[in-house]
Amino acid sequence: MAYAYLFKYIIIGDTGVGKSCLLLQFTDKRFQPVHDLTIGVEFGARMITIDGKQIKLQIWDTAGQESFRSITRSYYRGAAGALLVYDITRRDTFNHLTTWLEDARQHSNSNMVIMLIGNKSDLESRREVKKEEGEAFAREHGLIFMETSAKTASNVEEAFINTAKEIYEKIQEGVFDINNEANGIKIGPQHAATNATLSGSQGGQQAGGGCC
Amino acid sequence: MNFLRGVMGGQPAGPQQSGAETIQKLCDRVASSTLLEDRRDAVRALKSLSKKYRLEVGTQAMGHLIHVLQTDSSDSEIIGYALDTLYNVISNDEEEEQEENSQKEAEDLGSQLTDALINEQENITLILRLLEEFDFHVRWPGVKLITALLKKRCGPVQGIILVSPMGVSRLMDLLADSREIIRNDALLLLQQLTKGNAAIQKIVAFENAFERLLDIISEEGSSDGGIVVEDCLLLLLSLLKNNSSNQNFYKEGSYVQRMKPWFEVRDDNSGWSAQKVTNLHRMLQLVRVMVSPVNSPGAISSCQKAMHHCGLLQQLCAILMATGVPADILTETINTVSEVIRGSQDNQDYFASVNAPSNPPRPAIVVLLMSMVNERQPFVLRCAVLYCFQSFLYRNHKGQEEVVSTLLPSTIEASSITAGQLLCGGLFSSDSLSNWCAAVALSHALLDNPAQKEQLLRVQLATSAGTRPSPCCSSAPTSSPRAIRSSAGPSHQNVSYLTGQISENQGEDERLVQGLCALLLGICICYNDNSLENHTKEKLKQLIEKRIGKENFVEKLSFISKQEQYSRAAHQPQPTGPTPEHMLFDHQFTKLVKELEGVVTKSVYKSSEEERKEEEVKKTLEQHDSIMTQYKELIREQDAQINELKEQVVSLSSQSEQMKRTVAQQVLQIQQHRDQHSILKLKLEKGSQQAGGQGEEAQMNGLQREELSRLREELQELRGRSARLEAELADRNAIITSLNSERAQTVNGLENNAETLKELEALRSRVASQSTQISQLQAEKQDLLKTAAQPAKEAVDPAASDLQSLLTAQTQESQRLKEEVRRLAESGAGAERQLASANSSVAVLEAERARLQEELAESRKEQDDLLMLLADQDQKITTLRSRLKALGEPIEDEDDLDSQDQGDDDDDEPDDD
Repeated sequence: MAYAYLFKYIIIGDTGVGKSCLLLQFTDKRFQPVHDLTIGVEFGARMITIDGKQIKLQIWDTAGQESFRSITRSYYRGAAGALLVYDITRRDTFNHLTTWLEDARQHSNSNMVIMLIGNKSDLESRREVKKEEGEAFAREHGLIFMETSAKTASNVEEAFINTAKEIYEKIQEGVFDINNEANGIKIGPQHAATNATLSGSQGGQQAGGGCC
Repeated sequence: MNFLRGVMGGQPAGPQQSGAETIQKLCDRVASSTLLEDRRDAVRALKSLSKKYRLEVGTQAMGHLIHVLQTDSSDSEIIGYALDTLYNVISNDEEEEQEENSQKEAEDLGSQLTDALINEQENITLILRLLEEFDFHVRWPGVKLITALLKKRCGPVQGIILVSPMGVSRLMDLLADSREIIRNDALLLLQQLTKGNAAIQKIVAFENAFERLLDIISEEGSSDGGIVVEDCLLLLLSLLKNNSSNQNFYKEGSYVQRMKPWFEVRDDNSGWSAQKVTNLHRMLQLVRVMVSPVNSPGAISSCQKAMHHCGLLQQLCAILMATGVPADILTETINTVSEVIRGSQDNQDYFASVNAPSNPPRPAIVVLLMSMVNERQPFVLRCAVLYCFQSFLYRNHKGQEEVVSTLLPSTIEASSITAGQLLCGGLFSSDSLSNWCAAVALSHALLDNPAQKEQLLRVQLATSAGTRPSPCCSSAPTSSPRAIRSSAGPSHQNVSYLTGQISENQGEDERLVQGLCALLLGICICYNDNSLENHTKEKLKQLIEKRIGKENFVEKLSFISKQEQYSRAAHQPQPTGPTPEHMLFDHQFTKLVKELEGVVTKSVYKSSEEERKEEEVKKTLEQHDSIMTQYKELIREQDAQINELKEQVVSLSSQSEQMKRTVAQQVLQIQQHRDQHSILKLKLEKGSQQAGGQGEEAQMNGLQREELSRLREELQELRGRSARLEAELADRNAIITSLNSERAQTVNGLENNAETLKELEALRSRVASQSTQISQLQAEKQDLLKTAAQPAKEAVDPAASDLQSLLTAQTQESQRLKEEVRRLAESGAGAERQLASANSSVAVLEAERARLQEELAESRKEQDDLLMLLADQDQKITTLRSRLKALGEPIEDEDDLDSQDQGDDDDDEPDDD
């Protein structure tokens, strides 16, 4: 399939916060309630549209466990976007964000767009981290923020697409060197967009215009 | 390092002793020299000794060399020597000793030195860091050293590289090195690095390995390329094999499509070098890795789809039908096609449509089957064809039906060879492999397809009832439980043959046959519907108990799965084996046996009492089930209905929403049209007040009319003046004629005046036509006014309850209104056109008028001339008169005439200006 740009993403965060579920919901539009531990890294892909342009997202879902940390570090360098996920029902996952962020900032290229995600927003009764806290953390560290639910699919699309929008804007501003593939961005084969849509009312207006 | 010396000690004395001493001295120099040059020389010397004295250099110098790597990294030369030295002691690529013993020793030495080196993780990290140095003398030995370390101790070194920051990424960057020798050695390094390590494979893939490798392959000429292409392909295989994540990435990255050009094999038979054959083998393997039956079904089918869509499958089929393709490539291509089509209806349909370029064209399937039942074809090729045929029929009811239909008597055509004919031929051939292949092929035509089983049963009973038992048992049975039940059932002969075979105490060789007979008999019991009196379940069981014994029967039954070939066939769907004798079991058959073994054993052990009870329970359960099914069906139907209704509601409400919008839109449009109408009407009325015509037009017409009337007035005036002049001239002429000969000039002037008059006449006629046009326009305006005045009918009936009818009415109404508006627009345009033409004629008129005015001016000038002339003549007359006076002639009235003339001229002058 032809695309205008290809973005590479990684999903990071503590184990069990729902990284794989977010990916599954985004790529397959389904939810897997059983926690199946990710080994190393898994891959998923989907096409989205921004500003009338087809954009291909290649997403690497990493293992959250500490033992895989050294492996997942290898993925920071080549990614254009990162979803940093915590679980709103587990404060410890929120507390670990600083470590994750340091790790990401240290190993990634400086332009990588990071989206902070508070997942499991459907479990309101068990909430331990207030939405305001997430917002404050994001503001403090210059991240975009969103609360999502991989289970109900709430905000999942938006999380991935808004990150892509941010990257796209950075490209437009010339911040990213798109010719260097190590930035996690690739330009697709050239393709022309077609937008020939005529609404029915236009015909009537034209007939009226001829009268005067 | 001391322990190494201990392990490797006890070497014979002699030249090595001195070697060891030299090395010790060199090591001391490396350690103690303060001058870089001295150290460099010493390391260079160590390097030159490192191949011959591996043990000594390895044990004594390693520590010093690593220290050099740590401290002298600014000097690429010494680093290069140090890396080379380490490489030489660790690898034994260029070992001179040929003896097996010393070879093994050298291997051990390399491994132990590797252990010593990697004992400190830091050392690997250090070497990885040195690889960032671009200098060839550092990078190249660095790459070779890491490759050698990986070869010696793959797992541990992989582990260290994996946890070193950016370790894998750094090694991947080497692929982009512009120096081919480094890029090529990096390929070898990555092959070792990715071996059996999924985590590293994924990182390498993440670092754009697929893109780079495919680029290198095409740069190097694809299959025509050298060993570098093979190395790339090996690395790709290593990245993809058993790594579903990477396979998914490969597919998502549209890299499958890039494999298609690899198989564009030209028809010339010249270019089949050994390297090309190897490359193509690897390429075919790569395709197979992507669609291997061990992958997840979803992944397989999406890859198969992509391969058909991009033309890869078509390309492979072209190779099948091409000439001059080496047999082993052909065989592997058949295997590859098998897996590309296996279970994919689209690909299977395409495969069925492929024709061999023979005359007349034959289906590729038929041509392949001909090879399968041909004894002279290579064994592996025949197995490949069988696999291909099985894959073609796998989950392909359409294909199964087509094959079976060629076996039915009614459809067999004598003129062409069919798959059915070839299979029958194979079944009854004297070649046992043909028997086996044909039987297995046929069994796949029936697999999971009850309808075809019934069909084929009809054929076999009709054609070969007598000869069946032996091929059925000696080759792996084409087992279909139902078919065997109904075929073994009726024949008493068959059952006694089976029991005879099982009960005999035969040798090892016959164990399999006994097992198969037991299986057959077991099937006869399990799937027995007790419809035949002589062979009810009960009777067959009694037979087993009496003639064979239950224990004995079950033991015989278990013989099948104890066969070596059984476990191999159970392993994978592709039929393989070293020799034709090994081809005993089909993959699907092993599945069947696994399933049936337990069932048969259970049913043989069960007493009739239990069985009856079970039967009853089953029956009630079935009843239950059937009731449940009924209810489920009902619920499903209702569900479907509800869904349908819901959909209807949704679509209706969306329709109504849309209609409402349309209505609103149309009301708006109608309102617009009304407004336009009233504007038109207003304009038309205004126009008619101004003697017809619309706004501007009327004004234009008015202007024109004014102009015309002015022209007319002027003409009138001119005409009057001309008349007067004529009269004067006539008067004067009369005088002049009577007076002198020069009056001829005056006559000329008069003629000129007549011309002007003619032109004026023409102008007048034009003006007349203009006014008729104007009156035409006025009439049209009148028409327009009439049409516009027709009131627009009421479009919307607010009281109408039915939305649909309202909409229709309104649509029609608006249609009609639009029509009217269009017509109005058209006539408006017509009027505009006419107006334009009128304007243009006005312009013509105006030009005419200008010309006339010019002419008028001219004629006036002429009149002036005439007046001058007259004055002259007057003068002359006066002179003449005075002369006459002088002569004494009496004169009358001349003064009066003169003064009158003068006054006339004075009157004219201001008028003209």
